[in-house]
Amino acid sequence: MRRTYGKTLPGMKLTDLSGKLIVVEGTDGAGRTTQINLLKGWLEERGHAVLDTGMTRSPLAGEGIRRAKEGNNLGRVTQSLFYATDFVDRLENEIVPALRAGFVVLTDRYVYSLMARAIVRGMDPAWIRSIYSMALVPDAVIYLRIGVDELIPRVIFSRGFDYWESGMDVFPGQDMYENFRSYQAALLAEFERLSVEFHFETVDGSADVRTVFTELQKKILRIVESDSRREHFLKSSDELAETLRMKLEESWVARLRDMRAKDLKILPRTEPVSSNGNGHRTA
Amino acid sequence: MNIGSNLRIGPFEVFEPAREAAERFRQNGGPVFPGKLFVVEGIDGSGKSTQLSLLHKWLESKGYGVVFSTWNSSPLVKDTTKLGKKKKMLTPATFSLIHATDFADRIERSILPLLKAGAVVLCDRYIYTAFARDVARGMDSQWVRELYGFAVKPTVAFYFRVPLETAIGRVVTARDGFKFYEAGLDLGLSDDPTESFRLFQGRILQEYERMIPEFGLTVIDATLPVEVQQAQVRQIAKTHLDRAIELRVRP
Repeated sequence: MRRTYGKTLPGMKLTDLSGKLIVVEGTDGAGRTTQINLLKGWLEERGHAVLDTGMTRSPLAGEGIRRAKEGNNLGRVTQSLFYATDFVDRLENEIVPALRAGFVVLTDRYVYSLMARAIVRGMDPAWIRSIYSMALVPDAVIYLRIGVDELIPRVIFSRGFDYWESGMDVFPGQDMYENFRSYQAALLAEFERLSVEFHFETVDGSADVRTVFTELQKKILRIVESDSRREHFLKSSDELAETLRMKLEESWVARLRDMRAKDLKILPRTEPVSSNGNGHRTA
Repeated sequence: MNIGSNLRIGPFEVFEPAREAAERFRQNGGPVFPGKLFVVEGIDGSGKSTQLSLLHKWLESKGYGVVFSTWNSSPLVKDTTKLGKKKKMLTPATFSLIHATDFADRIERSILPLLKAGAVVLCDRYIYTAFARDVARGMDSQWVRELYGFAVKPTVAFYFRVPLETAIGRVVTARDGFKFYEAGLDLGLSDDPTESFRLFQGRILQEYERMIPEFGLTVIDATLPVEVQQAQVRQIAKTHLDRAIELRVRP
């Protein structure tokens, strides 16, 4: 049975979540996305069904967060909670169903990045931890550690300094380079604290892509093919692939069935097209 | 982190359930903000919005700088809430979080600066609405209270207490049908929207009753005539404004 960090969300059953939840953490530019793409292909070649997910990819809040970040008026508490909404939408609708179907879930950042960002922005650490107390405890948290000095050339020669990645909302003044350094250093310090508390497995993210990848493969293989799966796997990898596919299909059939049942049960209220004047109604 | 002269917007600073913070505030002494915050709470059909708008008129006529803030109205967040409701994507957890996000935006960018500037802020629904609804949807009550740890404690929180049947009678005659989440149809309590609404409001009422002693809500008997209730509301508001008379905005 899976554990959470304290609280359990209504309707979330923690039994039969047989997949593996693997988190890749690290600051901006640490190489997370590159590694996840490599890992996904590699795991699929080995016959594992993989779900990859990451921040702001939820159908509910992803677009809202992107729009809010385009402006200059997204506050710190609001930002923290908007990200929490995005996270929970993906947790309930992607991560948990995939784990139930036996997938390997690779997640690009998890609650730790969200905690670090909030704490660096002055939020109470106890407050942000209590919000994420409903998160599932992953099978592994791999932390790609990289220093600010190694980070700078990567950022300069790829996408350049970004407003939020430079903590322009946190630090005074207009110097993006200085702010980037201060902000990323603050995040790294926070990650160091979190890495002890949440048992990160630290990997040197400043090494070249191939070296990091090999390191990650070793760590992940231990988790993904360590248990009874391994026997099963050795017996017949085709059989495993088939089982995974069937489980996936089952979960989709069940989801479709649920959706239909909902549609039959509830006739949506017809709403007026325009929202003139009654935008203040509470619901 | 300081966002102003003396206020840390970090959670638990201005919120009563966090004992330590409340203690710190008492030690520091005196009110934190020059402004005043009056909020109204109650189930649908309790008449709270009518009472708040009458209070609004009166305060304006007295020359106070009054600002109104409604639930669910943040320009940054409301599109996401609308999307979630329209497509029925919200679970109890995301319903709770998106409303907290909306509230956070209004606190950070509107309510807090206004209170610092000395305005009288009126809120139609406040954190108690979230506590009642989210817990009625099965969220952990402690978790929801901690989630709203960044909220400002109101000067007065009026609770308009009304029996369930009276409120439902007022609501059912006033509108044609209920919205999905409004009626709690996401909980599967009943397939019939009116029945579901009744059951859901019943749960919410229970939660409000529990919160009266927990948060020291000021109870107004909402079965009394509108004028009598309003006289009580004004009387209570007046006692808090007398001490803040220098905040008046001369017309």
